Amino acid sequence: MKLGIRIRTGLAVAVATGLAVAGAGVGAQAASNVTLTVWSYGNVFEPKIVDMYRKAHPDVTIKITKMNLDDEHNKLLYALPSRAVPDVAAVEMAYMGQFRQPMIAAQFTNLNTLGANKIAGDYLPFRWAQGTGLNGAQIGLPTDVGGLAVAYRTDLFKKAGFPTKREEVTALWPTWEKFITVGKQFQNKVPGVGFMDSTGTLFAAVLNQGTEKYYDAKSRAAIYRTNPTVKRAFDIAAKAGCTFMRNNKCAGSIGTKINQFSPDWGAAMNKGAFAAVLAPAWMLDYIKQQAPGTKGKWDIAAVPGGGGNMGGSMLTIPKKAKNAKAAWDFISWYLAPAQQLKTFQLYGLFPTTYKMYSQPSIKNYKDPFFNNAPVGAIYSSSAMKLKPIYAGAKDRLIDSTFGQALARITQGTQTKSCGSFPAQTSGAAWCQALQDIQHNVGVLCCTLLRPLRAVWRNSHRLHHSSCIFQR
Amino acid sequence: MLFGAIPIVFTTALAFFNADFQTYYEFITNHQLSVLTNAFAGLDNFRELFKDSYFWLALRNTFSIWLISTVPQLIIAFGLASLLANARLRASTFWRTALMIPNITSVLAVAIVFQQLFGRDFGIFNVLLHYVGHKPIEWVAGTIPSHFAIATMINWRWLGYNSLIFLAAILAIPKELYESAALDGASRWQTVRYVTIPQMKNTITFMLVMGTIGGLGLFVEPLTYGGGFDGGANSQFLTMTLYLYKQAFMNQRLGYGAAIGVGITLVVMIISAINFMITRSIAGEESK
Repeated sequence: MKLGIRIRTGLAVAVATGLAVAGAGVGAQAASNVTLTVWSYGNVFEPKIVDMYRKAHPDVTIKITKMNLDDEHNKLLYALPSRAVPDVAAVEMAYMGQFRQPMIAAQFTNLNTLGANKIAGDYLPFRWAQGTGLNGAQIGLPTDVGGLAVAYRTDLFKKAGFPTKREEVTALWPTWEKFITVGKQFQNKVPGVGFMDSTGTLFAAVLNQGTEKYYDAKSRAAIYRTNPTVKRAFDIAAKAGCTFMRNNKCAGSIGTKINQFSPDWGAAMNKGAFAAVLAPAWMLDYIKQQAPGTKGKWDIAAVPGGGGNMGGSMLTIPKKAKNAKAAWDFISWYLAPAQQLKTFQLYGLFPTTYKMYSQPSIKNYKDPFFNNAPVGAIYSSSAMKLKPIYAGAKDRLIDSTFGQALARITQGTQTKSCGSFPAQTSGAAWCQALQDIQHNVGVLCCTLLRPLRAVWRNSHRLHHSSCIFQR
Repeated sequence: MLFGAIPIVFTTALAFFNADFQTYYEFITNHQLSVLTNAFAGLDNFRELFKDSYFWLALRNTFSIWLISTVPQLIIAFGLASLLANARLRASTFWRTALMIPNITSVLAVAIVFQQLFGRDFGIFNVLLHYVGHKPIEWVAGTIPSHFAIATMINWRWLGYNSLIFLAAILAIPKELYESAALDGASRWQTVRYVTIPQMKNTITFMLVMGTIGGLGLFVEPLTYGGGFDGGANSQFLTMTLYLYKQAFMNQRLGYGAAIGVGITLVVMIISAINFMITRSIAGEESK
């Protein structure tokens, strides 16, 4: 039977399956031979671009270890104060709030000491600010910007009797409320096809149009309970996820019940089982790879509210990295305007170096897969509309708890009543989400009985803003 | 022995602290013992654990998946082993090797394949059900269906391995015992009941203990099946170790995570003791 080694196997699985891409050390020069260790996940480092660096720098060996998203960040958190750190570590935006906390940020190299301040002006200001630690140090260099648009199927829109031109489609939904109404109309006209793939994605889309999420930008206190943007985002996603009830169960939704990135999702995309997807720039490449047969059937319209953002990462160098200088050479090259342009052309990741948005190579870029939509212009205007959002310590856990609550509404599995709300209502899902977040996030630091000096230390911490576990 | 003891002692000690990564960072950067004395929490973690409805939910889920996977698995494995032990079976080495193949397949690959099979809209099981006029089963959103799907993944992976262990035990039973049973005129069932099972007492005990440890430590399958550490939107397949991972590493509550670990250990010990008594009473009386 499965032995006790299971847990360890689980954690190691991601590591073991990760690609350890060993660089070819051609023409090894003994003096400047450097091996850079890189921790990553997903598609942060695109192989063709990294290979370009390898060719130009035969004396540098780049070893990229790909892990599961959560595993990589947890491993990094506990490795940082030790010597077992990589030279370069990728950090996802959902985790940036945690790594920006002063105590942790102090464990990263301040990139300004390596010359980051000289190139700061090249990058989108809000993305640059996301990489600044709360101790004032610049700890991250921003990779791509997601931006946000709606990719839709022109053939299915036609079937529903909707306009298919992107300007007219954009005019259909000036607000999110209108977006839901359009979704309902679509589903009445084309039964059996979902208007969008997963209504849960609306939550992040609406939330990221605000300026604050779960934590107050000034006091850094948790405000997920009181911030009206959070409630509004939840309500919109809940309304889209459950348009009407029958027999005390959710019986209609403007989305399918399919989770993004599941095998069903790819199948549904190929079969045309949904008509629209909320699409950050990186999503376009996903659609091309998952459903190559749908070429030419898509087009791209703007999201309600105009701008939006999803995803994006930071490249960091831990303070105890063995080759900080070489690591900086690599990441500053990798994210320089020329390479970001190349990455955009090859892999569709949208550049953060915004000064080239006005260059013809981006401004006039059209994608034939999406009916020659002006992808470059759409995503640059979406990215320019964004303001920085304060990222807090436990964003990832809070995100996933709200995601669970929204999924319960759509699936009809909100079996618990909560507060004054009966089971199966969106009120109960919201109420349970708040309880779950409080259960997980709000326990330590300020509440439990401790010796007096600890109380002093904690209040001290509070004012010095490293207290991140607040009720 | 020492290497095994250090993590156990450390984890148990950690369970008495209100340790999070701040504690860890402060301790490792300042090397001050006051960090530890400030974080000492006594029995707080255990008190909280006792009242934590998610831990009890995780316990129920783990038991449910464990039962649906272990019981049929051991019975089928025993049947398969008896078939393989048949001297008239041709190409027996081929069959034995074939049984082992699922076990050496990568867990992640298995998870992807099973996610496809159990897909709600385009998975083969629901498509087949659709043809016989049944509405789709919620393989992920439903509690029992998701337990069943995860148990299937486990069964597929471990059935062959268990069969081979049973096979080894069956082949080790002296032929004379069967001959004398035949001379005494024992029926086929009586032979199994009074010769095979008592002779395999040690193997069965071993399998049950290993099964309990593995089954109650269930982690990779629910993690990969649901695609996250939450165990589903309604925590319908949140297992105990998944909850440990969520609290200790997603939520950075190391002390509480350690307390969950101690809780899991206690549960495993209790169940193992019960198993031991059951196997002794099944096989013990005849083999005396």
